[in-house]
Amino acid sequence: MTYKTLPKNQFSKVIRKWMKAYDVAAPREEKNGLKYGIINDPEEAVLNHYENTTFPPKAFFLPQSERLFACRNGRYQMPEVADRPRLLLGVRPCDARAFWLLDHVFIAKGEEDIYWEKRREKSLVISFGCDAPCSTCFCTSVGGDPFDKQGSDVQITEMDGDYLFEAVSDKGARLIADMPDAPEAVEKKVRQLQKKSAANMPKQFESKGLRDHLYDIFEDDFWREISQSCLGCGVCTFLCPTCYCFDIVDEVQRSERVRNWDTCMFRVYSQEASGHNPRPTKTERTRQRVMHKFAYWVDAVKEFGCTGCGRCVVNCPVNIDIREIARAAQERKAAVEVGK
Amino acid sequence: MIDMDALRKEASRILAEKVVDVVLGFEDGSLPMRAQPVFIQKPAEAKKLILNGFCGNNLAALLKGRPKTEKIGVICRGCESRAMHALVVEQQIVRENLYLIGVPCQGILDWREISHAIGKEIIKASEDGQDVIITCADGQRKLARSEFLHSACRQCRQPNPLDVNVGIGEFPANPDPAALPSAAVEFSAQPAEKRYAFFEEETDRCIRCYACREACPMCYCAECFVDHITPRWCESMVSPGGTQAWHIIRAFHQTGRCVECGACERACPMEIKMEYITDKLNQDMRDMYGFEVGANDQDQPPFAAFSLDDRNRFLE
Repeated sequence: MTYKTLPKNQFSKVIRKWMKAYDVAAPREEKNGLKYGIINDPEEAVLNHYENTTFPPKAFFLPQSERLFACRNGRYQMPEVADRPRLLLGVRPCDARAFWLLDHVFIAKGEEDIYWEKRREKSLVISFGCDAPCSTCFCTSVGGDPFDKQGSDVQITEMDGDYLFEAVSDKGARLIADMPDAPEAVEKKVRQLQKKSAANMPKQFESKGLRDHLYDIFEDDFWREISQSCLGCGVCTFLCPTCYCFDIVDEVQRSERVRNWDTCMFRVYSQEASGHNPRPTKTERTRQRVMHKFAYWVDAVKEFGCTGCGRCVVNCPVNIDIREIARAAQERKAAVEVGK
Repeated sequence: MIDMDALRKEASRILAEKVVDVVLGFEDGSLPMRAQPVFIQKPAEAKKLILNGFCGNNLAALLKGRPKTEKIGVICRGCESRAMHALVVEQQIVRENLYLIGVPCQGILDWREISHAIGKEIIKASEDGQDVIITCADGQRKLARSEFLHSACRQCRQPNPLDVNVGIGEFPANPDPAALPSAAVEFSAQPAEKRYAFFEEETDRCIRCYACREACPMCYCAECFVDHITPRWCESMVSPGGTQAWHIIRAFHQTGRCVECGACERACPMEIKMEYITDKLNQDMRDMYGFEVGANDQDQPPFAAFSLDDRNRFLE
């Protein structure tokens, strides 16, 4: 794959051109920190901020609340999905990887979710490689890396005074076809930079065997211990780029069927109509969250359902750190083995 | 001000002497500027306990769902002690099973405010008297503690814990309430359109994760009104009909019950301001009924109390 190149100060001209054909969304500085939004001026896009957005970009394809259909005079009406094609600019590789992971869920053959599918089709993802990841990032521990290409159409690498553009998909190649090619020597340098970046991120926990070990300690007291201080709110899951659970509700007063993000951390999530709750306490709910990320995802698509973005780590109101849970789980498994 | 050695010693003593089954406090967090609530069961583990301005939760909220028969020691600051007294009044916990270890409080620091002010990755943070020392990759910065106190703590009338089993450390006098800022007064002074615009702007960011509810010691309903299905009290979506309704009804349920700790705001990942509403309602309770939340283990919140000689009887 060849690289295209552009001096940094010429990029806004290109963005402006893109803005004519696309709604360009990018991280922007807002009153309470970085947030994705449709930009009106290329200068609004913040591409290499030291931290990621709090709110995940999965909402572009799976909005937190979405009207599935309405019923008017006895007829079903489908809502319009994303009028203009969209270009997501400056997505971190971990978040782009999450789009790719979620494609497994929402566009699995025969089980296509038309809402997700239509939005994905009409969008382009331009990720921005991280050469200065945060201390809370752990993509290299869960199968990704700071220049992960999965889920991107184009990936940007910042080097010296230039931006290097790598087309990942055909759609992406068409978008940047007009840009000048980068010299071969530069390409080599880019690859070195990307390699170095990944090497600078040592693994935060041992992921080898994690799935099996979690199954092994499924009935262990471990889960009660780690969930004691959990509040049972939805911060970790709502901000997670790969959590995709939703709840379907009929808003009867408007004759609409809607879906809203839901989370396994809520008591009502698993509450059954009879009143029985198969996950009655925080212990089972915390276990569900961790097992889903590191075991059930592996069973289903052979990948962890975590991209190491660190949002849950940063924002948990009681500082429950999923990296520590993974480490502690590995330790517990080892301790149980010794005890046998 | 806080005597950590004495605190750890007391925690270890009450565990060893079986005064309590477990002690609830804070331990060091995995990130700078964070702490994690911890349940200590073995006397030797009491050395893990810490207490500083980054201990942002109200520990009384962590009592939810624990067995009522459990004897529990709780390290408490002013707001935490008031929350526990209020919970005793509402019969959610049993006073005899609580062993309250009172500690002085200098106020909780708002780590998000500090992060915004620093604008880059923070590697380490510590407190030094009235300063906060922040270490980044390119050096240290000193911030004035008073400028980064959480807004709830700036207006705290009662930082000293009330009616505890034991007090550890020196307790300076509580501040003069008349000299304190008040978000409620400031908010009420605005014209209605501005008040609504502010409320609208804040609630617009709400993602309905209910971290505010779960972090609140006084939100303990087995079934919250938002989770109720028949009838449904508010819209399910993250639309104004859903988020604004949530914030209004939540606040009303806190009238004369909110202990003004600000744990809701500190838990909110979207940095939504919400305490000004409950502050206003509490101010009304003070003005109309002279009621202070959590002042003792007997007084019912006025809206929860019923008396046959109520002046405004509407049930005849």
